[in-house]
Amino acid sequence: MSKTAFHILRVGLAITFLWIGILILKQPEAWASYIAPWAAGLLPVSPVEAMQGTAVLDLAIGLLLLTDTWVWLAALIGALHLITVLAVSGITDITVRDIAIFAGAVALFVETRPKNLLIKQKTI
Amino acid sequence: MTAFALLFTLSAIGISETVYLIRTRIAAEQPVCPIGEGCATVLTSKYSKIFLIPNDILGLLAYVVISFIAALLVLEINVDLWSLIIKILVGAASLVSLFFTYLQWREIRAWCFWCLMSAFTIWLMGIIIIFSSVI
Repeated sequence: MSKTAFHILRVGLAITFLWIGILILKQPEAWASYIAPWAAGLLPVSPVEAMQGTAVLDLAIGLLLLTDTWVWLAALIGALHLITVLAVSGITDITVRDIAIFAGAVALFVETRPKNLLIKQKTI
Repeated sequence: MTAFALLFTLSAIGISETVYLIRTRIAAEQPVCPIGEGCATVLTSKYSKIFLIPNDILGLLAYVVISFIAALLVLEINVDLWSLIIKILVGAASLVSLFFTYLQWREIRAWCFWCLMSAFTIWLMGIIIIFSSVI
């Protein structure tokens, strides 16, 4: 991936995560309705509280990506987070675009993962 | 809402840009200059600081505050107060950007891609605020 493409993807994903975090904080009740009933039953906290936690996580991921800090970690957590979102909400008209965000986060992770991770992978 | 989203997006772009400039300055590296060759000339000129504070730090502070206020406006917290503050802030930043652009043009006689990008970002914010007030 070229450096320019990497930075465009990084900043674009950062803005997406930050903005989603703010929108969730605005109306956590509305966002909680996207959680499938089976997943809501598994939560140790209320769906609204879970969404508020999600908002904080989204904001943290966005901030790290935006400031180019621990990008690999932010991208990894972001990708895992999106897998969770797709699992608990299902692929709907709204969440279908999360597949693209997930792919972008994976691309950033692959591009920035620490070298020792790469070495370990090669030796396995 | 759309105006706030655009303001937030633009300020986030500004944050990433100023963080990049601060990092390259601290690492004593030359920033990539995608268009033209005057970035280093401008960024190391005597005008790169105001009262000993580097302009990139002032820019970062401005962008952080603007993004924070845009977020508060989306959350509908003290809308009247914050919308007034963001207008004053973006207005002041637009004038400062105009001054820095003048310095590049007439005093330093070199153009810095990142400085111009920051100026256009601020001016675009101003245009968005004006349009959203009119519409």
